[in-house]
Amino acid sequence: MPSRISLVTAGLFAASVAISGPPRAAPPDSPAHAASRPDAVEAQAGSQAGLSSTAERVYEMAKPRILQVRTLLQAAGRQTTLGSGFLVSVDGYAITNYHVVSQFALDPRTYRLEYLAPDGARGPLSLLAIDVAHDLAVVRVDHAAGLPWFEFDPRALAGKLPKGERIYAMGNPLDLGFTIIEGTNNGLVDKSYDERIHFSGAINPGMSGGPVTAADGRIVGVNVAKRLDGEQVGFLVPARFAAALLERARKGPPLVLDKAREEVGRQLDGWQAAFYEALRTQGFRSAEYGPYRGLESSAPWMTCWAATNADQIPKPRTAVNTTRCSSATGVFVSDRILTGRVDLTYSYYKAIDLNAFQFARELSQRSGGRLFGPGGGKRLTEQECRDDFVSTGGADTPPLRATWCMRAYREFEGLYNVTLLALTQDRSREALLAQLTMQGVSHANAVALGRRFLEAIRWAR
Amino acid sequence: MWIEVLSRYGEVAARERVDAAEARVGRAFDNDVVVDDPHVAPHHLRIYRGEDGELIAEDLGSVNGMYPEHGAKRVPRLPLAGEPGIRIGRTTLRVHDGAHPVAPERPLTPPRAHAEWAMGLAAALLALLLLLQWLTLTTEPSANVVLLPLLGFATVLALWSGVWAVLSRVFFGQARFSLQLRIALTASIALVLWDQLAESLAFSFAWREMAEYAGLGTWALLAATCYAHLHAIGPRHMRAAMGIVLALMAAGALLQYATQTETRNLLGQRASLGELRPPAFRLAPLATTDEFFERAGSTKVKVDRARTREPSGGLLSEFENRD
Repeated sequence: MPSRISLVTAGLFAASVAISGPPRAAPPDSPAHAASRPDAVEAQAGSQAGLSSTAERVYEMAKPRILQVRTLLQAAGRQTTLGSGFLVSVDGYAITNYHVVSQFALDPRTYRLEYLAPDGARGPLSLLAIDVAHDLAVVRVDHAAGLPWFEFDPRALAGKLPKGERIYAMGNPLDLGFTIIEGTNNGLVDKSYDERIHFSGAINPGMSGGPVTAADGRIVGVNVAKRLDGEQVGFLVPARFAAALLERARKGPPLVLDKAREEVGRQLDGWQAAFYEALRTQGFRSAEYGPYRGLESSAPWMTCWAATNADQIPKPRTAVNTTRCSSATGVFVSDRILTGRVDLTYSYYKAIDLNAFQFARELSQRSGGRLFGPGGGKRLTEQECRDDFVSTGGADTPPLRATWCMRAYREFEGLYNVTLLALTQDRSREALLAQLTMQGVSHANAVALGRRFLEAIRWAR
Repeated sequence: MWIEVLSRYGEVAARERVDAAEARVGRAFDNDVVVDDPHVAPHHLRIYRGEDGELIAEDLGSVNGMYPEHGAKRVPRLPLAGEPGIRIGRTTLRVHDGAHPVAPERPLTPPRAHAEWAMGLAAALLALLLLLQWLTLTTEPSANVVLLPLLGFATVLALWSGVWAVLSRVFFGQARFSLQLRIALTASIALVLWDQLAESLAFSFAWREMAEYAGLGTWALLAATCYAHLHAIGPRHMRAAMGIVLALMAAGALLQYATQTETRNLLGQRASLGELRPPAFRLAPLATTDEFFERAGSTKVKVDRARTREPSGGLLSEFENRD
């Protein structure tokens, strides 16, 4: 069961609903209104405990330091996406998410950036540095003299923020106005390659890039995403990555806008190099799938799910047991490209009452699942494939029917989406169908993992 | 000597025997052969035997003149030894002498032979289709799953043969439905077998292009089928009819090829194993892992080249943009 994570920028659709639509207050008797009552009661109870007074104080302190970051269409002068940001230095440096400014970074001729402060002040923003891997960007407010700024929480920088501490997320959700949300720090997300803080509180589209502070108003993280299949499950980028990027923006050479696309490509390449290195270092083990063996990563962030058709009605004519392991990583590049995922799927098929021809037919129908590889549209080239029969050598390896398919990223040289399919060819009424999918991978890393993947398909006994 | 007057469709409209040494042809009634054509002179030409005994036609001073049957050059005298046809006005004549060779006698097909053949072929086709359906049946068997495609197939075959029979009736005078059905059945068997062969070869040699472009072979088979149908109607006007059929088939094949290429340019190839067969069907030798990745490197070359090309728009781009 793959998780569904949504980045929290307010996009065109959400924004237009919120702005152009009539006010959508629920009538008093509607279920929505009824459902909201318990919350209101709880909030009152909270205020008696003095919690909301902290939020009041934090917001008061944060108000001159937070921004709405708007990406405007150069020609129309209207917003296309909205996010949030916050000032972190005396000279007007501010932090936001990369995905808030990605349209501008990839296409600076079509878009421009603008900020809107809670007091109504607005002005242009310049883009100084990006960190695609951690989804961060540093922008600068021109003429920011005299504006206060946020400091980073040293406990957060050291990764020692206690679990359960009340923290405060700010931003401008759905363009409804600046908001503060009180939530709980739940530490780093388990089984995740990317370091993300699990924030229990409502994060909504438009809050991306907004600050999250401790009760003393110091930064502990940056709003970035939320889970769509959960309630109040939000994610923050830990403060230390923001501090590091700020340092880089101050000391390093400034981002050349016309070369931003190449910089994104370089960072993606660096990300995949580190990721596949980590995958290698974590090691692999062999897992059994029926009478066959296959590759399984020992990395804790490769989460596996199993499925079977044994309980199907009517009784299936082929037994299928599938194990799918996925890195659940996603690197946002643009609204059309989400990359950086690795998937390993093993399906063991055994004919119950099908003959060899019928079984082959069944496998043909099953192996066409993802027809043309995951989306990407015109930002990826067309897919090219190569079929072959392969023997990986050794006494305990079955012959394989293998297909290697590739698509290249048009905008980023040296990055590909690769699908490798392998089907065992030693028995006519049972088979292991293995599929390896890699997004945004270099050719060398794809071949290295692909080779390992093919060679790991063996007989169990 | 025999003089044949052909109709505008090339059939013999009248055939006259002239025993005299010389025959006269024209519109007037004192000719040996009378031709009802306003573009023919009352006394248009005479046909006589030359010194060597060969037949010669001579223009008697007509306005529109005389031409060889397939020639565009007006001639005053025309020896008929090689080419017996003469064109005057809008009429074609052929002059044969008694020694003119005729085609050998064609054996008569017994009246029910085609029907019996058709029955046999239909049984073979039915057996073939049932076998294929059984071999590709992966769900619970049910009468509908088996019967519906067969019924559809039978309907299409009957309609197809019927259309040819009607054409045959119009141009040949006889419908000969069972002959057309026999051709259609033979063609169906060939098409089904070709489809299976292409799929099996694509699997056996891990040869994806074979499956992708098998449609071109199908079009060639269809063209051959149409040729056979036309041939059965009658050999006359074959050339023109065949030209039309070939043009249609070429257009069909081209359309299919273009669609295929378009799909490939837009979406590329499918990340699937294609139509599989039992492992015993493998004919290609097993590659080593090194060889496999080396060959797979060709895909990198292709997509790297595609990177630098402008993405293609076209027929299917709307579909693709929705991804």
